[in-house]
Amino acid sequence: MDQESIRNFCIIAHIDHGKSTLADRLIELTGTLRKDKIIQQVMDSMDLERERGITIKAKAVRLGYHSDAGKLFRLNLIDTPGHVDFSYEVSRTLVACEGAVLVIDATQGIQAQTLANIYIAMEHNLEVIPVINKIDLPGSEPEHVMKEIETVLGYKSSEVLLISAKTGQGVPELIEAIVHRVPPPAGRSDLPLRALIFDSHYDDYKGVIAYIRVVDGVMETGAKLRLMGQGTHLEVLELGYFAPGPTPEDRLEAGEVGYIATGLKSVKECRVGDTITLASGGARQPLIGYELPKPMVFAGIYPTQADEYADLREAIEKLNLNDASLTFEPESSPILGQGFRCGFLGLLHLDIVVERLEREFGLSLVVTVPGVKFMVTKTSGEKLAVTSPVDFPEPTEIQKTEEPWVGISIITPSGFIGALMDVMQEYEGAYKHTEYLGQISVMGEESQRVRLEYEMPLRSMLTTFYDSLKSRSRGYASLDHEFLGYREARLVKLDVLVNELKVDAFSRIIPPEKAHDTGKSVVSKLKEVIPRQLFKVPIQAAVGSRIVAREDISARRKDVLAKCYGGDITRKRKLLEKQKEGKKKMKMIGRVEVPKEAFLEIMKLG
Amino acid sequence: MREPVGLYLHFPFCRRRCYYCSFTSFAGREPDIPVYLECLKREINHHAGRISVKSIYFGGGTPSLITANQFAELLKLIRQAFVMEKDAEITVEVNPGTLAPGYLKDLRSYGVNRLSIGMQSLDDEELCLLGRLHDAEEALDAYRAACDSGFENINLDLMYGLPGQRIETWEKTLNMAVELSPAHLSLYCLSLEAKARLAEEIEAGIQPPLDPDVAAGQYELAEAVLKRCGYRHYEISNWAKPGYECRHNLSCWLMEPYLGLGAAASSYLDNHRKTNVACLEEYLSRVRSGAMVLAETDEEISGDLKQAEAIILALRLEKGVDIAGFNREYGIDLLDHYHRRISELEELGLLLRKKYSLSLTPKGRLLGNEVFWRFLPEPPG
Repeated sequence: MDQESIRNFCIIAHIDHGKSTLADRLIELTGTLRKDKIIQQVMDSMDLERERGITIKAKAVRLGYHSDAGKLFRLNLIDTPGHVDFSYEVSRTLVACEGAVLVIDATQGIQAQTLANIYIAMEHNLEVIPVINKIDLPGSEPEHVMKEIETVLGYKSSEVLLISAKTGQGVPELIEAIVHRVPPPAGRSDLPLRALIFDSHYDDYKGVIAYIRVVDGVMETGAKLRLMGQGTHLEVLELGYFAPGPTPEDRLEAGEVGYIATGLKSVKECRVGDTITLASGGARQPLIGYELPKPMVFAGIYPTQADEYADLREAIEKLNLNDASLTFEPESSPILGQGFRCGFLGLLHLDIVVERLEREFGLSLVVTVPGVKFMVTKTSGEKLAVTSPVDFPEPTEIQKTEEPWVGISIITPSGFIGALMDVMQEYEGAYKHTEYLGQISVMGEESQRVRLEYEMPLRSMLTTFYDSLKSRSRGYASLDHEFLGYREARLVKLDVLVNELKVDAFSRIIPPEKAHDTGKSVVSKLKEVIPRQLFKVPIQAAVGSRIVAREDISARRKDVLAKCYGGDITRKRKLLEKQKEGKKKMKMIGRVEVPKEAFLEIMKLG
Repeated sequence: MREPVGLYLHFPFCRRRCYYCSFTSFAGREPDIPVYLECLKREINHHAGRISVKSIYFGGGTPSLITANQFAELLKLIRQAFVMEKDAEITVEVNPGTLAPGYLKDLRSYGVNRLSIGMQSLDDEELCLLGRLHDAEEALDAYRAACDSGFENINLDLMYGLPGQRIETWEKTLNMAVELSPAHLSLYCLSLEAKARLAEEIEAGIQPPLDPDVAAGQYELAEAVLKRCGYRHYEISNWAKPGYECRHNLSCWLMEPYLGLGAAASSYLDNHRKTNVACLEEYLSRVRSGAMVLAETDEEISGDLKQAEAIILALRLEKGVDIAGFNREYGIDLLDHYHRRISELEELGLLLRKKYSLSLTPKGRLLGNEVFWRFLPEPPG
C-alpha cells in the first residue's frame, strides 16, 4: 500500500479513561472484526491487565478504513502501557507513531501521568488529537474539561472531539480526524532498512516476537538483520501484522507496522527501543537513543517453602524471557533461605511480577520490604551500591550515603492542597512549584485544579505514600514522577527481631528521626498479623543495639477439639488435616510460625 | 461372630434447633418420627444376627421425643436382633423440658441404665442465649426426676466458653452441678460452625466474640473443682466418679468397632468408617427402597492413618497411648517411629512420656490440636 494511505497512531489515556474501550470501538467501526467477535477489549490480552485496568504490553493492530471521501486507508493502532513504571516503553511506542489520540475523561479532567505522556508526544512532534470521552455519563462536564484542555494544553476547542467510546458516539468523526490530521509516515523505502522495536514478547514456538515500525527501507522474510544498539544478529523467520490476530505477510515497507519472529531465546537479546537494520550494508544512524531500562526498586523474593527454590528460579527465568526490565540475582537470607534479589521499574512492576509468579507458576512467595539502590561511600573510601538492607554498613563505617530522588507532579482539586502538602511533608517531599489549571466540578461544586511540583527521595514513595495521597485527596489527586538523580542522605538501618531473632526481610533503611515511629508501627503490625504461638514471642525494632519499639505476643492457651465421639471422627480429623496444611503455608522464623501475609503487610507499611 | 460392638442410634429430631447447634437435626418434623422409627427398625433387622452388642447409645437430636412405648419396641427389637451382653451400658440422651411424668421410670424399666442430660448451663440468661427450651429449674428437675426414677449413672452436659460468659457464672453453674453429685460430667467448650445462629449473631456484633483465653481459665477451674470433688478427668472433656466412665464412648476412643444406625450416623467396622446420609428424606427413601445402601461416605482406615487415629484418640484419654499395646497392634516402635514429633511436643510441654505410656500434659489438654495434627500422615500426592 502506498505510504500516503498509512496512519500510525496511539491512544494516550489515564487509567480507566477509556483507552481499551475506544480501541474496541475503532476495531469494530472499521470493520476489522465483527462486533460479536470482539471479546471485550481486544487489546488487553493478559488477565492481569484487564483486572488492574492497565495495559502492560503494547500491541499493534492494523485497521482497514474506507474514508468518507471513498479512499482506503490503513490505520495502525499501537497500544501504549498506561503506567509511569513503564514510561520508557511508552516513549518508544510514541516514537513509532505520527499521531496520538489523547483521551480525557469528561468526568475527571487531565491527570498527572497523562500530562507527562502528552509532553513526550509533543517532544516527538506527534499530531495530538484531544478527545473528551464518556460524554454519555450523567456526571460528565465536557465544557469544563474543554476549558482545561484549552488553558493547560493550548488546544482550540474546535480541535477537540467529543465522544463516547462506549456508545460509539463521535467515534466515526474521530476516525476521519485521524485520517485527515495525522500525517502519513515520512520514511523512504529506498534507503537502507531502519525499524524500531517498540515492544517484544517471547513465544514458545517462534522465539522472540518483536513489534516493529519500519521507518526506512523494506523488511522481508528471511532477511539477515542486526540490532544497532545491542549488536544482536537475527534472521526474520516470519513477518506479518495483526488484524487483530497475527497475519503473516512477505514484506513490510517503510511506514508500516507489524511483527517479526526472530527465533531468539530471550527478549533481553531484542530490547525495546533498539533499531533494526540489515546485517550487511545497513544504516549508519539508529533512529533514537537506545538505553537499557534501569531497575529503580529492589526486593528479595523467596519461596515460602525452601524446596520450591528451584521452581522459583525456573519461573523467574521464564518470566525474564518476556520481561527484560526485570533483573535478578541469587541471594540467601539466614531466615528466608535461598531466593533472589530482584530489580523492578517501580512498585507496580514489582506487584505484577509477584502476582504473575504466584498465579502463572503456582508459587507461594515471601517478598521483602522494597527498597532503592543506595550508593554508600565507606570511611575506607570503598564505594558500594546497596540494594539490600542486609548489605547496608554499620553507621561508623559510613562516610557518605546517597539515594535516588524523584520529581513529583500532582494534579488535584485546590481543596486538597493543604492535605496533600501535609502528606508531602510526611514523606520528606521538598516543595518546588504550584501551577493553576482549569476548573472542574468536584462533588457538585466548582473547583480550581492545580498542579503541585515536589521533589522527594524515591525511598519515601515506596511504602504507603500513594495510598496516603489517594485517601487524603479522596481519590482526586493523580501522580506522576520522574527520576532526578542521586543526592546525599542521612540514613540508618532499622532491624526487626522476632523472638530475639533478627529478620533481615523486615529490615529497612530510614532517616534516624523516623526510627521510633516506624519501629512502633512495624512491631504493632507484626503483633496483629502473627498468630499467637505456643509460647510468648517478643517483637522488637532496633537501630544497631538500641531497641526503639517492642510488643509481646502472648502465648496461645486453648486449641482443642471439644467433642470427639465415634460419629464424626473423620470430620474432626479433616479439621486437623486443614490445620496441618495451614502450617505448611507458614514461614518459620526460628520456632515462630509466620504467615506469608505478614511479609506482605510489613511491605505495605510506611 | 465378630467382637462385640457399640451400637449408636441417631435420632435427628428436635422441638427447636439450639442456637449453637450444627449437628444433623430437624426441628418441626415431629410427624415424621413414626416413619423414621420404622426405618431404624428396618436397619436393625438388616444387621440382625450378625452382631453382638456391648453398649447402646441413643443420641441426637432429642431422643427423649420418642415415647416410652416406642422405646420399648425399639429395645425389644434390638434384643431380638442382636446378642446383648449381660451388663451392656444403655444410654439415652434426654433434654430437660421434654420429659413427661413417669417417662424416665418407664425407660429405666425397659433396661436403660444411663442417662445423659443436656443441662448445658444452670444460668437462665445463658440458657436463653443458647436457645435452649428449658430454664435452670427445669434442668435441675430433670436431674431429680432421673434420680427418683432409679438412675444412678447420670451424665450432665455443660457448656463453657460462651460469648460474654464470665468465669464467675461458670463457677456457679459448675458448683450447682457438682452439688447434685452426678456420676459423670461432660464439659464442652462452645465451638461454632459458621452456619449456627449464634455464630451469625457474633458475626453481626450482637454477641461478643468467643474468648479462648477465658475458656482456658474456665477449663482449668473445672479441672480443679472436679478433682477436689473426687472426679477423675479421664478424657479431655469428660469427668467421672471411679467406675462410671462412659463405656460406649471409651470404646470409640480405643478404636473399637461400633455400628451407627439412622440418618448421619457413623459406623466403624472392619477398618471402614462409613457415615449414613444426613438428609432425612434421602435416608427415609433409601431405607424404604430396601436396598440398604445408606452410606454417604466410606473411608478405609488403615496403615499410617489408622496409627495416627489410634494415637490421636488415645491421647484424649488420661491414660494416653499404651506404648506396648500400640507396638504390638501395629508392629512398629512408637517412640522410634514418631521420635522427632514426640521430642518436639515434649519440648513444647504438651506431651508427657512415661515408662509405659504417652499422654497429654495439662497444657497439652488445652492445646490438643497442636499435638494431634503433628501425628497425621502426609496427604497422598
